[in-house]
Amino acid sequence: MNYPGESAKHEQKRMETTKQKTISLGFLTVRKHPSRGYFGGFLVLNLLARPLEFHCTLPVQPTRAQQILYGATLDEFISGEQIARALILKAKSSLEVVFTDTLAALSGRHVQETPLIAIDGSWERSENTIGHPVSQGHELKSISALDYRFSVLSQYESDLQRIHALFHKNDSSIDLIEPFGRIEEALLEAHPAAKAA
Amino acid sequence: MMQSMGSEFIQFATDAPLPELAWQFDSNRIEIQSFDSEPIEAPEICSEVDEHLGDWILNTLPSVLPIQLGQALPKTIGFAFPEMPNWGIKSESEKQASDKQPDKSLPALFDPKEPKELAGSPKSGFPKITRMRPPGDLVRLEDRLYYVLQPPLETIVQSAKLTFPFQPFPYQMEGIAFLFPRAAAILADEMGLGKTMQAITTIRMLLLSNELSSVLLVCPKPLVTNWVREFRQWAPEIPLAVIEGDLHKRQWIWNNPQAPVKIANYELLMRDRDLIDSGELQFDLVVLDEAQRIKNRNSTTSEIVRSIPRSRSWALTGTPIENSTEDLVSIFEFLSPGYLRDDMHLKSMGQATRDYVLRRTKDKVLTDMPPKLFRPADLELTGEQRASYKAAEEEGVVQLSEMGESVTIQHVFELVLRLKQICNFDPATGASAKLERLEADMDEIAASGQKAIIFSQWVESLDMIGSKLERFNPLYYHGRIPSNKRDGVIDQFKNDPSRKVILMSYGAGAVGLNLQFCHYVFLFDRWWNPAVEDQAINRAHRLGVKQAVTVTRMMSVDTIEQRIHDVLEEKRELFNSLFAETGTPKNLGLSQKEIFGLFGLNIPRQAKAA
Repeated sequence: MNYPGESAKHEQKRMETTKQKTISLGFLTVRKHPSRGYFGGFLVLNLLARPLEFHCTLPVQPTRAQQILYGATLDEFISGEQIARALILKAKSSLEVVFTDTLAALSGRHVQETPLIAIDGSWERSENTIGHPVSQGHELKSISALDYRFSVLSQYESDLQRIHALFHKNDSSIDLIEPFGRIEEALLEAHPAAKAA
Repeated sequence: MMQSMGSEFIQFATDAPLPELAWQFDSNRIEIQSFDSEPIEAPEICSEVDEHLGDWILNTLPSVLPIQLGQALPKTIGFAFPEMPNWGIKSESEKQASDKQPDKSLPALFDPKEPKELAGSPKSGFPKITRMRPPGDLVRLEDRLYYVLQPPLETIVQSAKLTFPFQPFPYQMEGIAFLFPRAAAILADEMGLGKTMQAITTIRMLLLSNELSSVLLVCPKPLVTNWVREFRQWAPEIPLAVIEGDLHKRQWIWNNPQAPVKIANYELLMRDRDLIDSGELQFDLVVLDEAQRIKNRNSTTSEIVRSIPRSRSWALTGTPIENSTEDLVSIFEFLSPGYLRDDMHLKSMGQATRDYVLRRTKDKVLTDMPPKLFRPADLELTGEQRASYKAAEEEGVVQLSEMGESVTIQHVFELVLRLKQICNFDPATGASAKLERLEADMDEIAASGQKAIIFSQWVESLDMIGSKLERFNPLYYHGRIPSNKRDGVIDQFKNDPSRKVILMSYGAGAVGLNLQFCHYVFLFDRWWNPAVEDQAINRAHRLGVKQAVTVTRMMSVDTIEQRIHDVLEEKRELFNSLFAETGTPKNLGLSQKEIFGLFGLNIPRQAKAA
């Protein structure tokens, strides 16, 4: 039996051959609405913070079987292996790194090759913001840099080096938190039903 | 084995509410009949439920119906966007030259002592993030997302290295974010809040992002030089062309592609109508300054501006409604023909225009701006003035009454004007209660090193005032001053300390001038419409003003001036209540009925029919 990530790796390799060669950063968020399910949004920016691509999922409702069989790990399965994987694979740009404000989505790193890094920070959320899925608290490796705290799953610690290489080499001053506000606005445009109750 | 290990499984299966699943437990066999229409593979179930149980199922049970969880990924929708040009970003060679070499010892990025400045963060100097919002009439999701997903304006400004003479106020950034995505918009901020700067900065950003390449700005003739000056201040890199000169020169300028921004005046459009109608001109954006100039939609000016081929249309005005909602309908005929109708209910009109009109008032956005202090100067006429006034009024009213049905509004106006002029100066002796008061006030103002603006509706009155205020070295700014000399007058008033007073007519001095260094305004007589008076006052009370502006409204009590004042004040109160509720004001000027009513006359039938 193939591990789900295997087919993803093949698919990703195929897609990478067609991806553009400009430096771009991914910003991924997953939100969980109490009744409408999970919403994933993925924004690809260049180093000047200009949008290159935006992808979002249709609302994802886990099946009853998934609810039972994944149990407490359901949020991570849906956020990482399903939504993060689906969205990152859709990117046509060559992604240096994907930042996420959703810890539960870090499991998406198991099923695709692009470094997936959680980032802490605060931004002015609207009253319509819905909550994040829950992470089960895997062992993380973290560093603090700039005004942020970056975290990865411990087995992907080397991904953290990519941040240094990226920003040092390109002298980018992009705000890494602000794009999540844009994703939220875009999700509300695409799915007005995603507003908080 | 079944008893020890399988009991967990049986317990799990029994407790779990699985109506769609049929389990059967025999001594050594489990049958799973169906599962939510998707088969589940046994090892996956077991790895999640119980590792030991999985082994047990695989090793012990010989017959298991495999059920697989679907591997399909969630469905997605996505859009790719054109990458905006890098605007003012350094060229590649410059960038290489300044490229930092990686510091192998301690990466600067990770050095907490050297925090990097982030675009859009509070550290970058902008206290807040200003996002563009897609206009309501943009329907396609892809188009809406294009604007939603743009960086905050502060980020764009910083990454493009755009510089400003001073940091814009947050409400001005909101104004830019409002204009940027709109094909049709009215920026209706109260006078003095910086409509010019907001329009110029938005034009600048749209030009630099290649969303526009040709812009026509139309303004009243006296304001052309003001716009040129403001463009040089706020967008120094944008080439301008002022349309002026003889026909051949103007023709060349109209067609000159080198200047992406062209500035024309309303009066000139009349002369160049053939050029405009030739079909050879096309603008990405046409901006009308003081757009109340087209409030009469049947005027030639209005017809011409509506005929200019363009993709976007913006209107700038501090008074989108001077007299009635028809003014707003006329401006919308330029923005979006047919969108508004005269017969629309006030509330419907307010709702329909909400997404197109942005209006802020100083009291809402500039809470720390020095206030306007209104100082009514209610004055008794001098003896000479009272005698003249009484005689003129009695004679006038008698004449009007004798005219019967043939009386027109023009006849009433003539009487009003004659009486108002007497309120300024006695025609026989030149006596003036207002002037006596003004001279006393000016002595005090000049002694304290300050300057004053005096408004009147008559040039003759301004001349008489000027002759009595010679010791304050007055300057004149009115319709009889050639337009090419007016900038010099303003400069002199601003820079020459001996020039203590400037005498202005409402018509010439009410719009577009920045006189915020002057803290005293006198309204020697009153205009018909408070909106025009407000514009006049706001020449001084505008952005950059350092201290309170004192406005002295002169009025002769027990005269026609007081009667007009009372009617207008009543209407202003009505306007304020309506405007707060609906966002659209009502008629602020005097109606025909009110004008006749000033002398206790009824509107004749003939005038009603007209």
